[in-house]
Amino acid sequence: MSTVDALLIIFAMTLITYATRAGGIFLVGFVPMSARVEAFLRYLAGSVLVAIVVPATVRGGAAAYVAVAVAVVGTLVLRKALPAIALGILAAALWRAYMG
Amino acid sequence: MPPAAEPSPHGAALTWAGCWRGARAILAVLPPVFVFGVAFGIAARGHGLEGWIAALMSALVFAGASQFAALDLWTKPIPWLPLLVATFAINARHILLGASLRALCRGLPAWKVYGSMTLLSDLNWAALIAAERRGERDLGYLVGAGALMWLTWVTASVIGAVAGGLTLDDVKTYALDLVLVTFFATTLVGLRRGRIDDLPWLVAGLAAMGAVWFLPPNWHVLAGGLAGGIAGLVRDEMTRS
Repeated sequence: MSTVDALLIIFAMTLITYATRAGGIFLVGFVPMSARVEAFLRYLAGSVLVAIVVPATVRGGAAAYVAVAVAVVGTLVLRKALPAIALGILAAALWRAYMG
Repeated sequence: MPPAAEPSPHGAALTWAGCWRGARAILAVLPPVFVFGVAFGIAARGHGLEGWIAALMSALVFAGASQFAALDLWTKPIPWLPLLVATFAINARHILLGASLRALCRGLPAWKVYGSMTLLSDLNWAALIAAERRGERDLGYLVGAGALMWLTWVTASVIGAVAGGLTLDDVKTYALDLVLVTFFATTLVGLRRGRIDDLPWLVAGLAAMGAVWFLPPNWHVLAGGLAGGIAGLVRDEMTRS
């Protein structure tokens, strides 16, 4: 791999990645604004997060289930995300140490 | 009842104060960004990239998953098509993230909007969406958080490329690999408006898993996000009629 090749790859990846970053706000500009579109975009936001979390949790196996479950319950109980995340990570680390 | 579209009372903004709020909000998730950045630097050296090339990739591409994927395709001759397709597929989720920020960009000049989008990433997007639910209306939130993540990511890549020694197994021992997924999960808790979200989110989860099983890699976020959004829309139409 020559330096020029490497730079070409990085340049191409940069262009494609920026196109995806700018593409969403660009494309949605063509859609006339309505209550329906607003509602769709709101459902979209939550659904994207679900689509990130669920496969990542399944792929992560038992420790990931423990981490996510503890973090979610922790958020509901403590009403604060950061301690809940810390608890989830701690629980998963303990799970891996003793059960995994 | 369909969710009321809330028109922002003051319109969108992009201010230093917003940047500052975003930067503070993202501090807690910087450690895993740092760890993954170091891991990327190490992996890049392992795949024969020079240190400055790895750093340059982190600085310009700034998208971890696709950078790791590129390492696996770092061969001669360059597999251009798989490389470009993988980059697009892994990052296509940004399109949905960007689209969902429409209300926060309304009325801002194009250069501010498209400038801000250079720093769009899952983490600062999730932080902004959560903050928006609490009344945040400043796109600077995304920029401030993204700038801090960018700095962390690039610095960590350099450190990894120079130092080395850490492996992904070490990261797993301390469960740091799960910080991001728990962060997204807790964001989801804050985002939930109630029963109205149950059906779209269920559909999103099922579609994402379906995509994992039946589609080529990396399309699951796009598939799940779109499926959930459409499910919510269809349900609203049916309850209205």
